[in-house]
Parts: sequence; structure tokens; C-alpha cells
Amino acid sequence: MVNKLERLLNLTAVLLATRRPLSAEDLRDRVEGYPPPGPAFHRAFERDKDDLRVMGIPIRVERVPATDPPVDGYRIDPADYYLPDPGLEADELAALHLASMAVRVDGLADQEALWKLGGVVDTGAAVAEQAVTSIPIDPALVPLFQAIVDHRQVTFGYRGEDRTVDPWRLQFQRGRWYLTGYDHLRADERNYRLDRIDGPVTPTGKPATSRRPEIPAGGGGPQPAWELGDDEPVPARILVDAEAVAGARRQLGPTASEEPRPDGSAVFTVPVVNVEAFRTFLLGFLHRAELLEPAAWRHDLVAWLESVAAGAPARG
Amino acid sequence: MRRVLAVIPWIVANPGQPVRTVAARFGLTERELLDDLNVVYLVGLPPYSPDALIDVDIDDEGRVTIRLADFFSRPLRLTPAQGLALLASSDGLLSVPGTEPDGALARALHKLGASLGVGPDDTVDVHLGDAEARVLEQLRRAASEGTEVEITYYSYGRDERGARTVTPWRVFAEAGAWYLHAWCSRAGGERVFRVDRIEHLEARGTPSAHPAPGADGEGGDGTGTGVSVFQPRHDDPRVRLRLSPDASWVVDAYPAEVLERGDDGHLVAELVVTAVPWLERLLLRLGPEAEVVGQEGLPEAGELAARAANRILQRYRLG
Repeated sequence: MVNKLERLLNLTAVLLATRRPLSAEDLRDRVEGYPPPGPAFHRAFERDKDDLRVMGIPIRVERVPATDPPVDGYRIDPADYYLPDPGLEADELAALHLASMAVRVDGLADQEALWKLGGVVDTGAAVAEQAVTSIPIDPALVPLFQAIVDHRQVTFGYRGEDRTVDPWRLQFQRGRWYLTGYDHLRADERNYRLDRIDGPVTPTGKPATSRRPEIPAGGGGPQPAWELGDDEPVPARILVDAEAVAGARRQLGPTASEEPRPDGSAVFTVPVVNVEAFRTFLLGFLHRAELLEPAAWRHDLVAWLESVAAGAPARG
Repeated sequence: MRRVLAVIPWIVANPGQPVRTVAARFGLTERELLDDLNVVYLVGLPPYSPDALIDVDIDDEGRVTIRLADFFSRPLRLTPAQGLALLASSDGLLSVPGTEPDGALARALHKLGASLGVGPDDTVDVHLGDAEARVLEQLRRAASEGTEVEITYYSYGRDERGARTVTPWRVFAEAGAWYLHAWCSRAGGERVFRVDRIEHLEARGTPSAHPAPGADGEGGDGTGTGVSVFQPRHDDPRVRLRLSPDASWVVDAYPAEVLERGDDGHLVAELVVTAVPWLERLLLRLGPEAEVVGQEGLPEAGELAARAANRILQRYRLG
């Protein structure tokens, strides 16, 4: 009796070694351990193919040459199968191992990736690092990453519209995943929050046509919440009291410019895309900050505060 | 099978390594590895004659060699999920302030990105949070030594700053910020602090009378999420809010008990008020999406938002 692992390994070996696609019958002749021809064989063969695909083994389905009616043939293209050797040194492999323990990626991280890269190296120096965080994943993440790797266009629902996007870059900031890419509907670069993507991310089958701009050196830091979104940025000016200036400077980041005033307070000019996120940020200062411009936003903020001031008294 | 497909190429490329070494490298017992190799003996190509079968040889000193396995000479490609997870972990750890920017991890990330066919360093960008490298480093050192540090801390929730002596237990990142889980001598209990609100830090090197619970760090799931960032006490006041559907995220963001779910999507939830300015900011932010409908231990709850709004409005009316 040939065990299943042995049969799957032999099937993989035969599919890797062949140059021409092999039919199910060819494979039954070549691989030991299948039942005789008939429904039992076909069930076993289908299960084996599924098992290999689940493991990420890329089986190609092609027509067996000179068959009429056409017969499906199978093979594995070594170029699809073999991991290009990244050429990792022992200390680099150890560093990857350490990183995967320290920063867990929920539901994605698995030991197999490190096995494929050559196992775990004990350098002696690498003391077991405590996990410092775990990163949540989003259902859209893997399909988008795959599309980036393949330079392919995708489509998905976002804010009530179907978007066709060349995905460029995935960013994890403030506990959330974002995608940056070229939006064919808007004909410009846009950011998307992955948790706001409606439904599945589907490849269109077309290659990505846009060129990803170079990312400026040091530009890899997080973007503040009010810079994220798919509208045009508007410059906002805020006045921050002296005691809150240091905190504001830190939170506003490098895209804001600052004009210090003699009393220690400062006026910051900030490019704002998401007005609501900016309002939340500003209200965090309570009475220690003031929105100066645009006048329309100032007007809206005053109206907002007046509605809160006039709010219904407690009933409880 | 996944394991076998990864182990074979490694042994092919590194012939003559002791069984013990190979097993350790792949996290296996020697028995498990030998069982795997016993199956590999029987794998090959038709007609399965000895010259077409994989040749596994273990010599007298327990060193293993594999030949005739050309088709398994390289491991299987990483799946997209595996590639993504490795890039995300590595980029995340590299973003920790104070990490060597040109160290082994940076080199590994660069090589891995290139072999996956993505831009070298920036296709997956993970930012865990801002903090001063020196502060993080001193907190982690104190945590591993079990010593006290003196900090000046700005409590955003309470809108006040003050000096405290704390014993760092653990430093972790969550939702885009770095946190310190520590024993606070002033509070006489464990507390969670945001590292970027530590305005001044001095390591005293004094051994603490309150070391971290558990011999080797935290229990729990070990991911840093075992400790809640919000730590309500029994006697903290409580407030009941009626939240519109747009404000329902509040019950996921803060510890809350949902008391009522309306057919129209509104919620009534009870929240613990750990600090009054926190509630003021929340109500200012939510505006018409939230209404205070009850309280316990905070009689002014219903007036808070209006008072805070009026305080801010004074600025605008003067201007």
C-alpha cells in the first residue's frame, strides 16, 4: 500500500519532470498508488490536485497535443514552482525569524515560509524576542499584494463606486491597512482604507498601466488621518497655544509648516484631505487651538460647536 | 508534505549535515525527520528503478545526504500570503525606533523583496508607532532588569502632566502607538502609558519591589494585546450614551456595554469614564451622533459637552 504522502510526492515529481502536459490516464500509469481506472480513480486524482493547489503548488492545465476531442493535460512549470534563491546569509535568516516572532501577522504567519527559506538558524546572539505587536489582516490584503507582485490591475467597490486601480503600495498605519495606487476612475493617485473596500478585490486580467512614482527618501513615515482620502488637499491654518505647540508639531508631522509667534504660540499650515478627521484632531486640543482658515471650515466648526452647546440636557 | 518539500532541497544543498542539526533547523524531532526521510526513499520517477529514485543516505555518524532529487532541488515558492507576512513583520520591526537601519534585517528585507519581485523596500510599509528611540531603549532595558524609572507623563485623558516612578514591565505597539505596561508607584497599581506622552525619562537603576508578574514576562497570548490599553477601575463613573449608527464604532473602540440595539441601528451603551476630558473630547467629536442619556457618579455628564463647546467657542467669538 502506497501512502498518500508518497503518492503526492511522486505526482509532484512527475509533473515537475515532464515537459509536455500529461493526461489523468498518463499520470495514473506513471504514479503508483491510484485505484484502477474509473470513478474512484477520478475522485482520488481530483483530491490530489486540490491538495497540491492548497499547498501553493502551481499546476498548469493545458490541452494534450494532438487530441480530438481535446483532453486536459497537467504539468508544473519549474519556473512557477521553484523559489528564486534570495541568497540570505545566516544572520539575515535569523533576523527574519526574529521579526516574524516579534511582529506577528494575524492568521498569515506560518512556519512554512521560514522552512522554505532554509529553516531556523540559531546564531546564539538571537535571544528569543518577545512579541511586540500583532498586526491584523484584512481580506483584501493578500489579493492586493498578489496584484502588486504581478503588476496587475484590480477592481473593487469603494464609497459606492466601482474603482479600477493599479495597486502600488500597502501601508499599515495607526492600526489600519491602506492601499496607495492609481485610480483609473479619478485618473490620479489615491489612498484607500482596506476596511472600507466593499466586497471582493477582483483582478481585471489587464496589466497595470501606470508607473509608480518614486517614494522620496525618508517619506515612508505614516500619513496623518486627515491626509488620507481621495479628495484634493486643502491648506488649513490653525493657531495653537504655547503649551500645546510641542504636541501639535509632533502630531502634525513633516507636511505641516509652522510660524512661531512671540508669545510661544504658533500658526500651523496643514494640507487637509479629510475634514472630519481634521476636526477630530483639532477638538483634541479642546480650547487650546483655533481653526483660522479656510473661512468656510471655520464657520462649519463654529456651527458644529454651537449645536453641541445647544445640545439636549441629560435625561438620566 | 510541505515540510518534506522544504527539507529535501536544504539537505540536497547542504550534504553531510548531522540528522540532529537538520531536525533542529526545521523544528522537528530526529524521529519525525527520519520518518519523513523514510517516505522520500520511495519517491522518484517511473519506472521507479533504483537509479530513478531519490537516494537518501545516512552514514554511521548520522550524517544525511540526498542525491537524485533534481526535481526537488529548490523549495516551493512562497505563497503571496507568506511573502506578505514576512515583508510585513520585517518592515514592522525595522520601523521600531532605534533599529539598525543597515543591519541584517534590513539586508534580509531587501533581498526578500527582490526575490518576490516587488520594489525593494517600500511595497509593504508597516509603521508601528512613533517614539523616541532612547526612551524605548531605556524602558526595555529597565523592563529586562526589573529596575525603576522616573517619568514626566502627560495624561491626555486627564489633560494633566506629572512625575511618577514606574517599573516598566513590557513595551508593546498597538493601533499605531507604543505603550508601556508598568507598575506605577504613584497609583499603587499597574498602569498602561503611551510612550510618546512620556516627556522626560530618567533611569534610576534601582531594583524594583514590583517586578513583572510571571518569571519570563507576560502570560496571555504574548502578542502585546493581552493588556488592555484602557484600564477602568470599579469606582470610575459611568455614562450611558445613545449613539447613532454612524457612531457605533465607539463601542468597539472603548470598553462598553451595549444595553439596547434599536431597529434603526442606534445603540445605547454604557461606558466607563476614566477621565472627564476624555469624555468631553469624545462628545465634541461625535456632536449630534451621541446623546448622554444617563450617568452614575458623574452628575454633570449631561452638561459636559455643552460646557466644553462653549469654552472653545469663546475663542472664536473673541477673534
